[in-house]
Amino acid sequence: MNVRSQISMVFHLDKCIGCHTCSVACKNIWTDRKGAEYMWWNNVETKPGTGYPTKWEDQEIYQGGWVKNGDTVSLKGAGKLKGLKNIFHNPNMPVLDDYYEPWAYRYQDLFDAPEGDDQPIGRAVSLITGEPMEIQAGPNWDDDLSGTPDYARKDVNFKHLSQAEQEAMFQLEKMTFHYLPRICNHCLNPACVGSCPSGALYKRGEDGVVLINQERCRAWRMCVTACPYKKSYYNWNTGKSEKCVLCYPRLESGQPPACMHSCVGRIRYLGVMLYDADQIQQVASCDESQLVDRHLDIYLNPNDPAVIKAAKANGIADSTIKAAQNSPVYKFVKEWKIALPLHPEFRTLPNLFYVPPLLPAMASVSADGIYDTVSEHLLAGVEKLRVPIRYLSSLFTAGNDQKVIDVFKKLHAVRVSRRDTTVKDVTEKQLSTVMNEAGMDVHTANAIFRLTSLATFEERFVIPAAHREEAIEMLENTGDYKGSTGFGFKEKPARGL
Amino acid sequence: MKMKLKLIGATVSIVLSGMTMNAQDGASLFKQTCSACHTIGKGKLVGPDLKGVNTKRSEAWITSFVKNAQAFGEKDADAKAMITEFGYPMPNQNVSDADIKAIIKYIGENSPTEVAQTTETAAPVVETPADPALDPANANHDDILAGLMLFSGEHRLSNKGPSCITCHNVLHGDLIAGGLLAKDLTKVYERLGAAGINGMLSAPPFPAMAASYKDSPLTEKEIFQLSAFFNDAAKNTIYQPQRTYNDNLLLYGGGVAFIIIASIILLMFIERKRKCVKEDIYKRQIKAASSK
Repeated sequence: MNVRSQISMVFHLDKCIGCHTCSVACKNIWTDRKGAEYMWWNNVETKPGTGYPTKWEDQEIYQGGWVKNGDTVSLKGAGKLKGLKNIFHNPNMPVLDDYYEPWAYRYQDLFDAPEGDDQPIGRAVSLITGEPMEIQAGPNWDDDLSGTPDYARKDVNFKHLSQAEQEAMFQLEKMTFHYLPRICNHCLNPACVGSCPSGALYKRGEDGVVLINQERCRAWRMCVTACPYKKSYYNWNTGKSEKCVLCYPRLESGQPPACMHSCVGRIRYLGVMLYDADQIQQVASCDESQLVDRHLDIYLNPNDPAVIKAAKANGIADSTIKAAQNSPVYKFVKEWKIALPLHPEFRTLPNLFYVPPLLPAMASVSADGIYDTVSEHLLAGVEKLRVPIRYLSSLFTAGNDQKVIDVFKKLHAVRVSRRDTTVKDVTEKQLSTVMNEAGMDVHTANAIFRLTSLATFEERFVIPAAHREEAIEMLENTGDYKGSTGFGFKEKPARGL
Repeated sequence: MKMKLKLIGATVSIVLSGMTMNAQDGASLFKQTCSACHTIGKGKLVGPDLKGVNTKRSEAWITSFVKNAQAFGEKDADAKAMITEFGYPMPNQNVSDADIKAIIKYIGENSPTEVAQTTETAAPVVETPADPALDPANANHDDILAGLMLFSGEHRLSNKGPSCITCHNVLHGDLIAGGLLAKDLTKVYERLGAAGINGMLSAPPFPAMAASYKDSPLTEKEIFQLSAFFNDAAKNTIYQPQRTYNDNLLLYGGGVAFIIIASIILLMFIERKRKCVKEDIYKRQIKAASSK
């Protein structure tokens, strides 16, 4: 057992309102720079939709992620021989148009325009060329199902759905969508790290954050191809690739990342998970049907004395172990098992988990076109959902419908339990049936409810101390600075010193 | 009128003097044009002994052969046999019919009638230069080095003629690759011998070489030094780094390089994502905009 700690995340999709506050917070802090204008380290997509960059999930186009290769995994689009062949000419990269051409407006023209018969306008100018441009696409033009024939109907996940199921999703009365906020998954088996010919990418030992060393990056852009989530971006101005850094300077000072801190719906949770690094290869190369289970099994119980002992032996600080015991992520993913990884079939073992959205379950439209509450009970069963389970299973469980249904049963049970508590119109039999089906007790339902709806800042973000004082002691003799800190002068005083 | 007469007189005298000179100068013409490769009655050199050629061949035959041996060889069986025997056709000589006539006359006059049968089949005669100090076989290391310098152009020929390496190659460790315009001279000493080289260099029979050295002949000393170098180079060929240049190197090398580069480029493009994933969307947008 090789225990390591990993900062992991849960996004609760039922709570996401698609406001893009996270994206803007991230953009303002990290990517509002020349060469990074087109990057959205955090973006929010509408599902069904093609996402950003367009069709990023289609690895037949972008050749990202890992593929099973006997007992192990190999990169789909990079690796030793493939990488060498493509090293001067990376063939599967998204082009700027696959993202979008970033633009701004000439706002000053609105103020400076001479008086005339018409309103002055601020023309759109490209942030790449600086020339006036015709805007053709934006990073979230599939938002709220807009441009549906162009975007939503081209959702890559539809390849698992029958034509009838697809059509059903676009019937006006049955139409449904949800948001999917995405950041770098800081995977346990990161394809970007595996693909880099320069060794510029690395996974931080202390918290598992995946970073690109800007000094070692030599712009091969293999990581851009290799990341199946397309969360590594090439900065055309600096000639280096960049990616989400999980706001590690904030994490090190005990703050959550900006996207999480600013989240209006409070959908985001962050905490430490302990995992067994010895299992990574086995898990990443296991059969697709077992991927989700084996992935979740790699995370260890931080209350298990054996795990604690092994963690300490590996140099994991007590504070980190304590944070892992209080981790909200551990509760969602391991205790309650209601959060699932996004596209596990890419085999990168992502550390960002999603609570799937329990899409409108309350009503549907009958064949006569009458809006119907489905059943006599307001909260209908999981099987009455509008969204095809197959669609969500292709997003979160590599096609395993039952896993999604299991999660939905639990989420549904929590709602029935809350209705029983607040409205008190649920019979005891109904409640116990729902609870039994979900395999849950009222106590757990209440815990899920509390962490979902009432959680405080400290409960949502359990950030371990970074122990930078220990880190710096490894590099420098801190005693050398004793007596040299405090107060100084920029200009020498005339007298003294 | 007087002027005109003078001019006519001058022209006539020039033409006459030219004619008489040609007629009389069979000897000097032979020395200039033929002697590098041929002897009269002294055996084979680079080309055959020309003794009695005036009786063996018709004047027309000789004229055609001298002017363009290769083209003539394709028509005439005897000429072809001759070329095959000596390995390469005689270089085309830029001499007039009158000159050829004069030379034939000179050969006829100087062909001894009774010459031992052995001379004809004798091995190439290596004429020993008059001065034994100028025999390349006696050359010392300094002479060989001087020859190398002259060949490579590191030392300029004293009459400012072009250096040999411009057109010729010799396989030698101290030399860069030479020109491919004329024959490889690595084993020239074995082919021609000292006398042949001496003849070639003192009166170059090849048109390009003759033109190059017309106004800047090599000195006797330089010829000696170059011969010494050629002798040394021929003897030591097997010790030289094996580096052979032939005329097809560029062709084949270039072809192979092109195929390699083309296949690399092909490898690059064969799997390329060829279009933007939004192309359909953009096309539809444009169509919608233009149909309004």
